Amino acid sequence: MTQPSDSRVASSSANAAVTYVFAVCRSTRATSALDVTGVAGLPGGEAVRLLPSGLLTAVVQTVPAADFTDEVWQRRLSDREEIERYARAHHAVVSAVATHGPVVPLPLATLYHDDDRARSRLADEADRFHTALKRVAHHAEWGVKVYRPLAPEPGPAADAPPPEAAGGRAPGAGLAYLNRKRGAQARREKLREQALDVADSVDAELRGLAAASRRLRTHGAALSGDQRVHVLNATYLVADERAHEVGRLVAALGERTGAQIELSGPWVPYSFVGEV
Amino acid sequence: MAHDVVPWDSPEPLSGPLGVPLVDLLDRVLATGVVVSGDVVIAIADVPLVRLSLHALLSSVNERVPSPWSDGGPL
Repeated sequence: MTQPSDSRVASSSANAAVTYVFAVCRSTRATSALDVTGVAGLPGGEAVRLLPSGLLTAVVQTVPAADFTDEVWQRRLSDREEIERYARAHHAVVSAVATHGPVVPLPLATLYHDDDRARSRLADEADRFHTALKRVAHHAEWGVKVYRPLAPEPGPAADAPPPEAAGGRAPGAGLAYLNRKRGAQARREKLREQALDVADSVDAELRGLAAASRRLRTHGAALSGDQRVHVLNATYLVADERAHEVGRLVAALGERTGAQIELSGPWVPYSFVGEV
Repeated sequence: MAHDVVPWDSPEPLSGPLGVPLVDLLDRVLATGVVVSGDVVIAIADVPLVRLSLHALLSSVNERVPSPWSDGGPL
């Protein structure tokens, strides 16, 4: 236990086990009464359990080290089904714990060689955990995504400039082609600007309701399998007593802007525990 | 158990949106949370969405769908 960690990183044998940490919560009476035995946890691991350490309690699972090497994870990260299994399992544990009080989730795949290492490393960060727990208590995260419907590709003549250019004579085919190209370009630019304006105003309104907000990157169509144009991917930390206002505001903003707005939540405040 | 995909209209106490789209989940479980140094280093930050996106592209049998904007994205 007094060995430096790095000397042991590469030495895990085939059946070695490591401690996976899902989340950290306060050591309260509610926490110690928490029954996590019904939560499945990660594939291939032992039962999910609590690991108390002073004023904090970690939610952990013993998992086979061989399933959690960097190489295995690099493969897993490019396998949509695999990453989904692990992400949903992680999320299910975090969400189950959050029904009993504030919880600070750790990112997917935070691992320690054993319980003692986990306890001591988490104890080193106790101040950050307490700050984060205080911040998210009685708050939830709400995700808001704004889409602009995909503009139909204009037909060859749609919105083309009037054919009578100089002296009422129809321009040559080359000029007409250029004009169409320019028109399409200008239209795209205009749509793009409008969509970004809508995104900004939706974000501004929601920030007025939120204790904190973050903008996440927008999703490409390839990833989400969705051909709509994603112009805002934001997430908001909202006090529980204002939660009912979120849905109403989103509906009103959708009507006012004409944009498609999707609300998701309440989430455990994943996005608001990191910057403490 | 069947869960509705977002948006759902009956928020439950943080039992969590278990049926949420994978992308939204990855936005949250990968790059966020309190980052503490683990004993096993797994290079995750920022990489997976790119990889997943590439994977989705490669495995897609659809015809290439023209990008709505010539630069490929709004931002």
